[in-house]
Amino acid sequence: MNPTPESAIEFDRQLEGLLNRCAAADSQALQRLYGLVSPILFAAITRILRRRALAEEALQDVFISIWEQAGQFTAARGRPMAWMMSIARYRAIDLLRRERLAPTLVAQPEEYRMIDADPDSEGSSAAWLPSAEAMKRCFALLSEQQAHCLELAYCNGSSHEDIARLTGSPLGTVKSWIRRALQSLRQCLES
Amino acid sequence: MTPDSRELIDRLASEYALGTLRGPARRRFERWRASTPFVDERCRFWEERLMHLAKDLKPVQPPAHVWPAIQRRLNLANRQTGLRRVRSFALAASVLLIIGAAALLYWRSPPAIRATAVATIVAKTGEHLWDLQVLGNVDRLVVRAANLPARPAGSDYELWALPAGAAPVSLGVLPAAGASSRTLTVMQKQALARSTQVAVSIEPLGGSPTGQPTGAVLYVAPLRTPS
Repeated sequence: MNPTPESAIEFDRQLEGLLNRCAAADSQALQRLYGLVSPILFAAITRILRRRALAEEALQDVFISIWEQAGQFTAARGRPMAWMMSIARYRAIDLLRRERLAPTLVAQPEEYRMIDADPDSEGSSAAWLPSAEAMKRCFALLSEQQAHCLELAYCNGSSHEDIARLTGSPLGTVKSWIRRALQSLRQCLES
Repeated sequence: MTPDSRELIDRLASEYALGTLRGPARRRFERWRASTPFVDERCRFWEERLMHLAKDLKPVQPPAHVWPAIQRRLNLANRQTGLRRVRSFALAASVLLIIGAAALLYWRSPPAIRATAVATIVAKTGEHLWDLQVLGNVDRLVVRAANLPARPAGSDYELWALPAGAAPVSLGVLPAAGASSRTLTVMQKQALARSTQVAVSIEPLGGSPTGQPTGAVLYVAPLRTPS
């Protein structure tokens, strides 16, 4: 479901308010923020790390970073969800590297079954997503291969090498698909 | 900045945000981001736009034990329990306060908030930069900025405890001016108890995104018991 611009703005304001309260050491605001965004951040982290225990550890680290850095967030510098999602993804990528996880490219179903998706959770309204129209238009310009490569890199935390192995394509070709995809997005988004 | 270098920065920022910039190149780029506002601006541009790729991500409710673990690590549970107790006994406390007011007249020396460890961070040139006080009996860290070096735009100085035989533990971003006082988490207290030194690194605005120093370590200072 795509968010309406109004619901996205309202959601951003709610998150900004909670981050401001976190900056003032209001622990109830952190708990509320956790209730709102942890399902989507945990989904992103779990998809990258694929290990339940490691994903839980990463989620703890993420909320500790959010608590400690909340005072540094300013709405003028971007959307709160993008800020928190970046903290989460970069922490997961960092742990992935540190733990030297085998770059498993096929989901481990038994791991996923242990964590139940909750379609009714507050984060499921997709109000956290960026403005849909411009993004949809620009992503629609990508080839299927390009879009697939970007999704593997962003959502699974896959490296160029992982993607080459998964798609059975030469490494140089994968790098080229990704480079051109990003170039195409840049031109479209800034046009 | 030439158009070529702008294009290079934008390309690297997009790969950084996507996650395909890896290894030492990723660390180097993070340091560049910390010191260059244009790099930081392009990273934020891509971080926001590429979030669209998560459009099909289905929210997953974290297990119930994760939030209490966060509370423990941040020492929030005690604070909330304390608040609840304060609310529950507010009336009784008020009465006791009134009755006890007279007794306070005889209260000569309330328990002192004392520093259990201190450090002075100085530049190689001898310039005095920050004073730190660990107030161990109230779990607080007080930092006072003195004569700070020019901070690269889009970056922050971050303070680290250096526990023996373990990875550095962040003590938070240092104030650019004036003083700051913050509550220490259990992890930070434990790290400080095992540290004989603290360090300061240069990090992206808001502090290290990884929980470990990503920029250059600029200063190291001994942590000592106050005389």
